[in-house]
Amino acid sequence: MNLWKRAFLYSVRKKGKTATLLAFLLIMATLILTCLSIQSATKTATANMKKALLGYFTINARRLDMGITEETLDQILDMEGLSGKYTLRSYSYANYYDSDGTSLEINTEDAAQIPEGYEHAGRLIANSNSGEDSYFTEGGLELAEGNAITSENGNEVLVHEKFAKRNGLFLGDTILLGDPAKKNRTIPVTIVGIFTNTKEQDSIGMAPSYDLYDNIVFTNLSTASYLLYGAEDKTNVQYGDFYVNDPDELDRIIDETKKIPGVEWENCTLTRYDKDYQNAKESLEGLQNIVFIAIAVVSVICFLVLSLFLALRIRRRIHETGVYLAMGISKCAVLLQYLAEVFFAAVIALFLAYGTSSAISDQIGNRLLSQVTTETYETIDLTQDTKAAEQPTKDLGLSEVIVHVPTQNYLTVWCSDLVLCLASTALAAYPIMKMKPKSILSQMS
Amino acid sequence: MNLGIRAALYTMRKWKKTLLLFCLLLSVTTLVLSGLAIADAQEEQAEEVRQTTGASFTVQRDLSSGGWSSGSGGSYSTQEFMTGDMIQKIAAVDGISGYDASLITLPRIFKENGKELEHENYSFYNYGSYNSQYHKLFLSGRFELIEGSHITDDMADGIIISKELADQNSLKIGDTLTGIYYPENNTPAVDMKIVGIFDVVADKDDQLNMYTDSSYYDYSSFVFCSMEAAEGLIKGWGEDGDGISEAYYYVTDAAQLDSVIKEVRNIPSINWNNYTITANDEVYQNISSSLTDTETLITTLIIVITVVSMVLMILILSMSIRSRKREIGILLAVGIAKPAVLLQYMLETLLIAMVAFPLACLSSQQVAGTLGTLFGKTAENVIVTPQHFELVVIAGGILLVVAILLSCIPVFRFKPKAILAQME
Repeated sequence: MNLWKRAFLYSVRKKGKTATLLAFLLIMATLILTCLSIQSATKTATANMKKALLGYFTINARRLDMGITEETLDQILDMEGLSGKYTLRSYSYANYYDSDGTSLEINTEDAAQIPEGYEHAGRLIANSNSGEDSYFTEGGLELAEGNAITSENGNEVLVHEKFAKRNGLFLGDTILLGDPAKKNRTIPVTIVGIFTNTKEQDSIGMAPSYDLYDNIVFTNLSTASYLLYGAEDKTNVQYGDFYVNDPDELDRIIDETKKIPGVEWENCTLTRYDKDYQNAKESLEGLQNIVFIAIAVVSVICFLVLSLFLALRIRRRIHETGVYLAMGISKCAVLLQYLAEVFFAAVIALFLAYGTSSAISDQIGNRLLSQVTTETYETIDLTQDTKAAEQPTKDLGLSEVIVHVPTQNYLTVWCSDLVLCLASTALAAYPIMKMKPKSILSQMS
Repeated sequence: MNLGIRAALYTMRKWKKTLLLFCLLLSVTTLVLSGLAIADAQEEQAEEVRQTTGASFTVQRDLSSGGWSSGSGGSYSTQEFMTGDMIQKIAAVDGISGYDASLITLPRIFKENGKELEHENYSFYNYGSYNSQYHKLFLSGRFELIEGSHITDDMADGIIISKELADQNSLKIGDTLTGIYYPENNTPAVDMKIVGIFDVVADKDDQLNMYTDSSYYDYSSFVFCSMEAAEGLIKGWGEDGDGISEAYYYVTDAAQLDSVIKEVRNIPSINWNNYTITANDEVYQNISSSLTDTETLITTLIIVITVVSMVLMILILSMSIRSRKREIGILLAVGIAKPAVLLQYMLETLLIAMVAFPLACLSSQQVAGTLGTLFGKTAENVIVTPQHFELVVIAGGILLVVAILLSCIPVFRFKPKAILAQME
């Protein structure tokens, strides 16, 4: 009889044994595949954590004649490893005029001094998103009317409530901003928002007039760019904060940034800010190590158990082996038959394992994990009279944690499982094959 | 023959089978024990991550409920300042890992020889501090202590200065400096010892600030001194107008922030009408969902491992029993009662388990450690505790007994004759 036929017949005849073997292999393969899919999901989760710790670097190009140009900005944003989140900022001073060109009044009462030439001027702040400027997030400024400035281009301005009142300005009014140094540059802007301060400015009596909260305005980056650089259709900026995916790569990214041609990097200051990440780094690594060790332990022991199981199986068949050999079937053919049986079972088990582990992974993914893409970050609801820190809903751009069986892992498990099955069967059969049929059979009785 | 002897004899006679079963039991138990240890370790590690997020709350004067008055420098609030006593009381609440508050003074500082220190500004911007390591400038990474130690609340006269200032005036740790708020008004002179030197990491040239009074000082003119020393500088002079208006408290576990704040609000001796509490756990909020995901994933992994291990045990045992069908038939035929046969098998398995379980305890510790070092990862906190062992022994023992019982049932349903006939 052909050995393939024999293997097939044995598998069919001994249904119970075949089922046990199949179940065993299936469980093992499912376990390993599930472990691997969990591991890859944890990797995403850890990467998300790294990203959420918001490591960034700041380019200070204030001393450059033209600041950071649009071309340079594009090149920076094209670099690998940036999370896509960035903030551009420019700061200047501006003279304020109404639409007729008459100077507007500023608060001079609380000022330590009124610098010459700045009698009708204040600090001009341009930010990619005025609501995210530190004046609003930390300094206690709050929008009372209108909207924040969120676009780079446009001629919009936010003014202080007191400034608006003093000069009889309302939402929708147009004022002129002029550069105090180069008096020929003026630009008309529309008031789109009015802000107020919730905290007292503690530098009252120390600050020059233009720094007082009453006298500052927020505007678009393009407006600041025109006043600072005279650039009409291009937006150059003084500062940029660029967030990265993995704070570990900050050094590399900063080095690469410095290689961008056409910029006098020696006149720029690049500063890295990743304290939150540095604080959490060690514990995060610890967490990753634990996952890794868990997977390693599972894989090693699974393989161990599998080979022991197969050895146990072969040892049960000493009698059968003796009979085969006595019948004159070559050792090689007997071994091949055993291997073929395991092989059949393993192939079926591995196919089924893909389905079972995918099903388990899906369950984990759908039921247990928070879906970061749809989740908003809200502050914990504290007791009623406790002010919760104001945190706007943020989109950190985190990737969704998906638990699925990666194809590459599947192939690895396929190959390693098959090799292992065949190797352990062969190894277990080796001592039996060494013996003469007679000694095998006599040992049995 | 006694069934105990029979069990022992079988185990010894079939030593190869025993060895195989032993190895299987050992591996499976090791797997479960390692899993349990890993589950504990990840919980600990996740807590550690939460600790590093610097979740805090700020207690500050409630300016809206206090009165206002005006003076030479504009209007100011007359709301009561925070007292040292109150700050300490809050700091004593369980779950708070550290705290700091600032008493700001603008002293001029002199060397031991009476010469004024050279620096960028007219006076220094001095933060009187309880624990300077918890000061915002250090926590945010803008300043970094490079030498000596931070100011702590048990220090009476410590001061930390910038590296630039130290270099410019050739100062070193241990030197004594004298601070005077207004030398022309004969305010008290306070001697302070340099305990630490910090480096400025942040870019002061970045105009990102809100033009608070500190922004008019160069970072190199910032100093931090003990709270007691700062109070000494204004003693009998500016105490009315200067005080501590806010204090920062850092909690051990960000997930507990809520309950810690509640506890703080219950301190009876503080008049909460005059103070507000603001929670700040932005970093934790940002990572919390990812952290929970990781925790869930690891826990699931451990559950999967445990369940699979249990199934494997049952499979292995039923296989080993089923292969002894013939033996069961013979034993029954010679008149040994079914319960006795069952008991013998259980005894055999338990004999093996008795050796395998304690060994698994050792091996699981080894496996995690060895695998860790093999790949250069440390896992000191993966520890198998006696509780884990207890759990595995009890659950494992029950599982083994049940597994044998279950696999014996199909065989026991038949008469010995039928069993033996079936074998032929």
